[in-house]
Amino acid sequence: MNKQFVKIGILGLAAAFAMTSCSDEQQFTDYNKQAKDIDVQVLNPELAKVRDYVPLYAVIAHRGSTYWTPEETEASWRWAREMGADYLESDLQATKDGVVLSLHDDNLKRTTNIQSTFSDQVPNIRKAFYRSLTYEDGTPCNFSEEDIETQYNNDLGNYYSYYPRNYYYAELLMLDAGSWFNEDTPELARANFASTNDPLKETQDAWRTNPHAQVSYSNDLYISALADQIAYAEGKKLNRDSKGRRILPYHVKNSLKGKSLLEICGTAPSTTVEGKTYTAQSRYMDFLVYDFSNAYVNDPSDTGNRPGIYIEFKESWAQPKDMEARVYQELDKWGWNIITKPATDTEFYRNGKVNVGNTNGKVILQTFSFDAVDRAYQVYKGRIPMCYLLWTSSPAYATDIAYDTPTGVADFIKYMQDRGCHIIGPAISGAPNNYPEMNCPWQAYMVRRAGMINHPYSFDSQAQITKYMGYWNYGFTTEFDDLMKLTIPKTSVSTFPGESATWPIYMDGCFTNHSEMNLQYMLDNGMRCNAKLPNPFHPGTYYDNSQAPSTVPDAQETLKHIGY
Amino acid sequence: MKNSKYILMSALAAMALSATAQDFDNDPTLNIENKENKVKFTVGARFMADAALYNTEFTPLHSGATISDARIRTSMAYGQNWYFYADFGFGGGKFSQKNIFLQYSAKDGNDATHAVKVGYYNDPAGTMAAQTSLGAYHFISRPGMATSLGEGRELGATYKYSSNNVFLYQGVFTESAYNRIDAGYNGLTLSGRWLYRQASEANNAFHVGVSARYSKLGGGEEYTTKGATVLKKTLSLGQPLETYVDQNNRFSSCVLPWANEVIDLGAEALFVNPDFFIRAEYKHKIVTKHRDSYRIFIAQQDNIDGWGDPDVWENANKIRTNHFNGAYVEAGYKIFGKDYTYNKHDAVLNGLNGKSLEIVGRFNFTGLNDLTKGEYYSVGRDQYYAEGYMVDWPATGATSVGGGDIYSTTVGLNYAFNKYAQVMLNYTWHHINIDRLPHDKNVHSVQARVQFTF
Repeated sequence: MNKQFVKIGILGLAAAFAMTSCSDEQQFTDYNKQAKDIDVQVLNPELAKVRDYVPLYAVIAHRGSTYWTPEETEASWRWAREMGADYLESDLQATKDGVVLSLHDDNLKRTTNIQSTFSDQVPNIRKAFYRSLTYEDGTPCNFSEEDIETQYNNDLGNYYSYYPRNYYYAELLMLDAGSWFNEDTPELARANFASTNDPLKETQDAWRTNPHAQVSYSNDLYISALADQIAYAEGKKLNRDSKGRRILPYHVKNSLKGKSLLEICGTAPSTTVEGKTYTAQSRYMDFLVYDFSNAYVNDPSDTGNRPGIYIEFKESWAQPKDMEARVYQELDKWGWNIITKPATDTEFYRNGKVNVGNTNGKVILQTFSFDAVDRAYQVYKGRIPMCYLLWTSSPAYATDIAYDTPTGVADFIKYMQDRGCHIIGPAISGAPNNYPEMNCPWQAYMVRRAGMINHPYSFDSQAQITKYMGYWNYGFTTEFDDLMKLTIPKTSVSTFPGESATWPIYMDGCFTNHSEMNLQYMLDNGMRCNAKLPNPFHPGTYYDNSQAPSTVPDAQETLKHIGY
Repeated sequence: MKNSKYILMSALAAMALSATAQDFDNDPTLNIENKENKVKFTVGARFMADAALYNTEFTPLHSGATISDARIRTSMAYGQNWYFYADFGFGGGKFSQKNIFLQYSAKDGNDATHAVKVGYYNDPAGTMAAQTSLGAYHFISRPGMATSLGEGRELGATYKYSSNNVFLYQGVFTESAYNRIDAGYNGLTLSGRWLYRQASEANNAFHVGVSARYSKLGGGEEYTTKGATVLKKTLSLGQPLETYVDQNNRFSSCVLPWANEVIDLGAEALFVNPDFFIRAEYKHKIVTKHRDSYRIFIAQQDNIDGWGDPDVWENANKIRTNHFNGAYVEAGYKIFGKDYTYNKHDAVLNGLNGKSLEIVGRFNFTGLNDLTKGEYYSVGRDQYYAEGYMVDWPATGATSVGGGDIYSTTVGLNYAFNKYAQVMLNYTWHHINIDRLPHDKNVHSVQARVQFTF
């Protein structure tokens, strides 16, 4: 009996030893290893061609700048243009009358004075606004009081607290989009960010003498239209009257003569692109036409930079269902649709100026939305660079990635490539935003393996910039060096010692509210103004951005330069 | 009349035997008998230590060793009819209650046993595999389908009729032994296992039969959304990879919110002779759903983007009845040693009961995929989409359950030194098809066990 116990004991110990002394490889989930092991779908040649429309190490001015200026306004984008940013970034929404806005928040409370102007309801001038309308030929519309009453009740029924879709664009131009910034950040306040007039009073006064007068606009920063953003990228600024109000007359379309508001409202607007029609929700009413012919003038402070625009489609509940098609037509209208009007210029920089806005890389589309990705693919078919933005949370909401793992990232990469995306935009961690970290070396590596561009957001501190642009591993060797580590030769403006610097660079471009910091870092470290940058998308070849601006203007001086 | 009653009572007493319930794997070594008071008290113990080495393609499993079972087992018999049993586990360093029941049994004039049992023990329809004590099992683990789709111990009462040719075992149970539920009531289960035995000798037996179980789930949680509270009952199904070392069930598991009723239908067969055994089992599980949709819908009408119509809400938040199934077949061949034997009272196969060497094999299928045609699964989102592509709204109307299909093939070698101690060695190949683990198709494991039973 004792012998048998000894045998059993020996067997048991041997088995336990065999099991516990096995390889370490499978002891935990190693994302670094998985990111190298699993298959990642690679961008097909057609999409890769469009990917190459985008400049390497692009600096994307997030809403122009949320730090220095009231975001997504004339001030922010003119500032970003003059600083030398490659792209003016924005978020797209639409007004009730279908004007495409460049506006981030889903409601207007934070960035305008809407609460003191219109309160939380349909504007109390709405009925008078209907009474004031005229056709393009100048004749009054004279909608009946019953019709106006019915439409007003429709407006009430569709009202959602402070959403831009409640308002006609003319009404939004009555709002002050700059004072809030001065109140929130007094250390950065500038008097010219705030308006000085009272558009509501001016409008009501005007209607007493002329019931068909147009509403009076605010006299400084506005909620922007996409058309405005394009104009700023083209070196323009708003055309204003003697009182500082922008010039933008509006009328009811002549083609709607004889139709009641109710009839207009009953027809859901639609947009046709390449023979296919996309229909918006019926709460939108495309019955006003804004005359942009005299809306802009050449900006005397323009120094010649021509950035592109980087525009975001929002989730379904924040935009009309034909938004992607609507934007297609808007880009077409302003000559920025490379599908209908391909650019012949291929130089991203020329003579020390940004020239992206004159190339096929002039527009980049972006979104967090699955719906928007699908619709954008139907409309654009991958022919314009498109970025899918990543976010994660727990529990994962709506479009957030639930498994931010190599498997989850590979799944999203494939799905988005199959829908015409060329760029992945992950969040990065660190102050001041403290977003979730979605651009670890393994994540950047997977995007690179896929042949997609990596545009993380948002680089708003020196610590973030250095972390992802060279210093994450402090130069130590990692398993990702085969694709991520680049040797950058020095330039006439770089500041690092020696003939070259070798770093892992976990981005191909960056969103930022501090264009000045990112541009300066890139200049100092040879990432701009370099004729011999190793091209990570075409190994063995060079990427030449030697014609990029070689200096970065002072941020505050630039604000003064453009009139603030 | 009075006389005939006494005759019947005497006859039953005379014929009564201690119909052993499924409790001890072998006769306990420590027996204390008080003949004067007709009381017999026994104490036994069981210990199992496992070691496992896993090889996976992507998702790691943690190889190593563990004490998979350690328990103290006691019983007390009074006279010929009354039997009380309780055992308590200490495996994993944690105390857990195992079986505890009281049984009254008697034999009739046809040598058939009638037994009434009350307590906490295995559900009759919880699979033949679950009815078999792990200490008497011829594999390191029960088949995966028995873990996924079978039922374990429940609190209830059963009546069992066991004759040479017929085995009828049925009862009523509740869900929770201690009524520890957050909301709702303690559920109700009706369960039965019914067999025909062509032969039921100790070393020559063949039975076929069916089982059925109906359970009205009771316990749930208070689910609150936008101020409305409803009762939410959830059923979880799953299995580890037929192992006790890494018991993670990520390769085969699903969670079924709004579960309401569970219907199990099973079929089984067992053949045993002195040198060979084969047994097989099939189980089909149906899970119906119930949700107070209207109350949730009303609560969510809190803005102008609300659903507007209960049908629209219902369509975006569909629930449907789920179906799962599983089957296994096991066989063993005795190379030398003690004969295989059949446990007539529980209609299961006994374990090795003396110095023996056997080779065994098993194929198991567990199907926890209940997919809806046309739906798209995003592994990054861990979500199915009814439209076939991803959409912004989280409520997509998708109804797929992707718990995974798993095919497990095992071969094993078991050696019993004596009736108390044995060692086991199993190799298993699992082939996996589960949406949420697209890079895991095959898992291999080698397991060993040392087991003492006293």
